[in-house]
Parts: sequence; C-alpha cells; structure tokens
Amino acid sequence: MKPGFRQSMAWLHTWSGLLVGWVLFAVFLTGTAAYLRPEISLWMRPELEVTRPGPDIAPRLMEAMARIAPGSQSWTIGMPTARDPVARVFWRDPQAPNRRGFRDAALHPVTGEVLTARATRGGEFFYRFHFDLHYMSPIVARWIVSVCAMFMLVAIISGIVTHRRIFADFFTFRPGKGQRSWLDGHAVAAVLALPYHLMITYTGLVTLMFLTMPWGAQLAYKGDRAAMNADIFGNAPVTRPAGRPAPLVEIGPLVEEAARRWEGGSVGRIAVQNPGDARATIQLVRQDSERISFNPQSLLFDGTTGVLISATGEAALPAAETRGVMYGLHVGRFAGPLLRGLFLLSGLAGSVMVATGCVLWAVRTRQQAEKRGRVGFGTRLVEHLNIAAIAGLPVAMATFFWANRLLPAQMEGRAEWEIHLFFAAWGLCLLHPLLRSGRRAWVEQLGLGALLFALLPLLNFAITRRHLGVTLAEGDWIRAGFDLGLLALGAALGAVALLVAQHGRTRPGTRCRAAAPLATAEAAE
Amino acid sequence: MLGLALPYAGFTALCLAMERHHEQVLGRRQIPPGLRLVLRLAGWLLLLTSPLPCLALAGWGGGSVLWCGMLTAAALLLTLLLAYVPRLAAGLALVLPTLGLLLAS
Repeated sequence: MKPGFRQSMAWLHTWSGLLVGWVLFAVFLTGTAAYLRPEISLWMRPELEVTRPGPDIAPRLMEAMARIAPGSQSWTIGMPTARDPVARVFWRDPQAPNRRGFRDAALHPVTGEVLTARATRGGEFFYRFHFDLHYMSPIVARWIVSVCAMFMLVAIISGIVTHRRIFADFFTFRPGKGQRSWLDGHAVAAVLALPYHLMITYTGLVTLMFLTMPWGAQLAYKGDRAAMNADIFGNAPVTRPAGRPAPLVEIGPLVEEAARRWEGGSVGRIAVQNPGDARATIQLVRQDSERISFNPQSLLFDGTTGVLISATGEAALPAAETRGVMYGLHVGRFAGPLLRGLFLLSGLAGSVMVATGCVLWAVRTRQQAEKRGRVGFGTRLVEHLNIAAIAGLPVAMATFFWANRLLPAQMEGRAEWEIHLFFAAWGLCLLHPLLRSGRRAWVEQLGLGALLFALLPLLNFAITRRHLGVTLAEGDWIRAGFDLGLLALGAALGAVALLVAQHGRTRPGTRCRAAAPLATAEAAE
Repeated sequence: MLGLALPYAGFTALCLAMERHHEQVLGRRQIPPGLRLVLRLAGWLLLLTSPLPCLALAGWGGGSVLWCGMLTAAALLLTLLLAYVPRLAAGLALVLPTLGLLLAS
C-alpha cells in the first residue's frame, strides 16, 4: 500500500521533530531566557546600584578609560541604558593574561568609576549557550544548532500539512484526557504561536547563514573577510598607530553630530582605536534597541580632529536590510516591555510545543508497545531523555542562579564554576531517572525545579540586600520583576508536577486508556 | 489594552460560532443559523480592526510584529480559559474591550 501525502508528512514530522527535540528544547528555553539577558545579568550582580545615566556621561566614560586603560590600542564602551544601567567597557591590554588580551569592567553610569561586582557570566551564558552550547568549539556547536534548526523548519512545515483540523481544533484543549490532551497541547502551542515559530526558526537560520551557506558571500568578497565583516557587522577597519602622540578630540560634539544625523537616535557604543595617537579613530554605533533592523548604523570620526570619515548603515542595500530586519526580529532588541513580554510568551509556547511533542511520541509509543506486551529499549530511552531534557533543564537553570548566590564572591574561577554547576545539576537529572520509575522521576524533578525557583527570592532575603522588600520599595523594577517572575515560574512548575502526580494516582501505570485518534490516524481519515 | 481586547473578542465570537465551543460555554449544541452568522461576522470584523491599535502604537514595522504577538496571546488566553473556566472566557470577551475603550478614551 502506498502511503498518502499526509501520512508521509506525519512520518517526516515525527522523526524530524524527535531526533532533535531535546537540543531544540534547550535552545528554545535558553533562547527565551536570553530575551532577558540584561535583566538576568543585573539580577546576578546584586552589588550594582541602579542609577539613571548622567547627562554628559560620554565624556566621563572617555576620561575613565584614559585612566584605567592608558596603554591600550582599543577601547569599546557600551553605553548604559534603562535596561542595563551600567556602562560595560572592554579594552585590549597588551599585558593581559588571556589569549586575545581583552579586559573588561563595569563603570558607574554617572561618575564613571569602576564598579566591583561578583564574577559571573549572567544572562550572557544563556544567550551564548543557545547557539554556542558549551564545552565545545563554537563552530561545531553552531553547526549542530543550525542543523537542528533546519530540522525544526522541516518539522514545522510538515506539521502544518499533517494537522488536518487546524481551524476546527483552533481553540481546542481538552485537559485530563491522556494522549488526547498531549496532542491538543502540542497543536495549540504550535498553531497559536505559529507566526512566531516560523519567524524565529527561519531568522535563527539567517543569523548563522554566513557559517552554513558561505558561498555567496565568499564569491562576492573574493575571500576578503575583513571587508565583508566591515560591511556586515559595521566594524571599523583596523588601523596601525602612527607612533606620534596626539590628544583625543572632545567626544561631546561627536555625540551631538550623531544624534543629528540619526534624527534623535542615541549612541549605544563608542569604539576608540589608538587613543592618544595621531591616527586615532572614534566610531559611534547607534543603540540597537531603536530600530528593528540589526544593520548597525555607525559613524567613524578622526580621533584627533573630529572630522567625519565615513558613515555606515544609512542606506543599506535591500539584501543587507532584509538580513538586518530578520536578525533584528530574532534577537528582539527593538522590543519595548510589552512586545518583549509577548516574545517571552511565544518563546515559552515554543518550548511547550517541543516538550509536548517529545512527550507525545513517548506516550504514543508506550501505548502501542503495551498492546504488543513489550516495551522496547528505544521507548525507554526516549522516556528517559525526555525527563532529563525537559524537567532537568529548569533544575539546571535554577541551580545556576543558586550557585550565583552561594559561591563565595572572591572565589577563583567563580564565573566558570557557576556554569560547571549548571551542567553538574543537569547531569544528575540525567542519572536520576535510572533510579526511579518514569512518573516518579518526572514529579521529583519538576517538583525540585519548582522549589529551587520559588525559594530563590527567599534566599535573597537571607543573603543579599536586594530582596523584594527593598527592590519593591525602591522601585527597582528590573530586580523586583525578576524575583516575581521566579516565583511565578516556580508556581507553574509546581502546578505541572502536581498534575502529573495526580494523574498518576487516578490511573496508575499507563497515562492514556481513553485513547483518542492519533495524529497519524487523523491524517489517514 | 485594546490591542489585546479586540483580537480576544474576535476569537471568542468565532469560537462561539463553532458547535463544540458553543456547547462548552452555553450548554447547548444547536446554534441558531442567524446567531451563527452574526457571531462569524462580528468575529472577523473584530479581527480585521485588531491591527489598528498596534499600528497606532508602534508604526508599521513594530506594529505588525506587535499585532502577531497580540493575536497569539489572545488566542492562548482564550484556549486556556475555555478549557478550565469556559464561562469566564466568554465574559472576558465583553469586559476586555469595554476596559480597553475606557482606558483608551
């Protein structure tokens, strides 16, 4: 019998989704967390005060850099914003121990003084993890993530074809009915946030396209990577110092010039090359939260005379602008609080979609296997990995936050240890289901995640000065909101744990006696 | 607010025009044909007007992204409420737009 189109699509959907589901879940969830990158970073450095940036902050920061990095060839200053209220600076130090010689610091947004805070990767870790993974070369990791994203795109498209009753089941979610509910949940999370899923998967591929499909760009630039990077990322070309000292020009007028050219736009980053040298340059890059497109607008000035050398990004070519908009949509940095909330919601819907898809496979296969009277190794393996990947990741993320609070502030290699503990917790979650039966492992890991998240705000009361009592009173909405978000997350995980536990009590053993038609059977109708 | 209220009300009207959900909320499976037509028309009309507040708030580029997000949020909210508290789901379709109009004016 020849299978129909829908059935072959159902097959494709099942396997393209299952094979990469666990990686995708991790990428989705940590990517969702990455929308809150500055907020997480701030929360993880409770030492930092939240102060509004001062009016003439740019000159202050330039003076500070001249003080702390006198012999450096290049400085980069990330301007403070409302979301990330400290200036983040880094510079090249010829004497620095690490391989590329970069050092970094956080500066006070009014006075420009160096701030000291505990060493942590903060929200940066989730952002990096979601395309660079960890403990491996970023290039390999990006290939893995790219391939998974391509599978994801295939799974989405074949899923749309397979789902015969998109409109009839548009609002349908029937809880407490075993497999039927998993299928409903999977479809609802997928269909209702479909614009987001398609957008985020496709644009995610676009962000890595120069890695996975480099041929067009290689041909156009004839292998000149420096010229390509200058065009795409707006990096100023590297210039050699002249060796003659010359004072840097005042930064204030340059910032005003930028605001005029960008019609009121503000400077997000200042990059200085060869400060104090006759061949100094100053590049001003526009704040990336002001436009959807991620094509950076920047102005390059002569560092001693203040004459404008070149401007990029003002009239981007259509192809570059298309990529810029896609990149911008993916990272969502243009989004205000409301839209960021919607991105978060959709990201969570995506995580739920992937998770329910994986669970659905396991539930369905176990049911078929029990009819045959024998549960195979493959089914048990998938069930096991589902628990570790889906319930284990929140436990690991919460552990990361706990490590941030509990590791001693002066510890050597502190930032790395936070990450090691993240993976250690995840590893334990991978071993734990070996000792417990499936459902108990689910309930215990979900419950543990719930406790860890919900107790974090309480831990703040015990050991930091930035607990809810203070942050709410002071109007520190970033930290207060994050604490409340942790509580909500803990409550949600707890509710899921309770549901799973209850469901187990009413119907021990299998989860879904009252079997409803399967996705494939539906397709066959 | 109105950006969420309009698609929510629109989706609710459309979903009340479907037998399964009509039964969930109002307890009867039969929908009078006239009522069904009115619900459908109202639903589509509300959905068609729903981009307007988003576009007014955030312009063409940001507004269209915002609108997609609002559609998703409204539909997710409706689906979840419908599953657990169907009466509230329908009631909210009246309350939200009223609130939205009050806040907007």
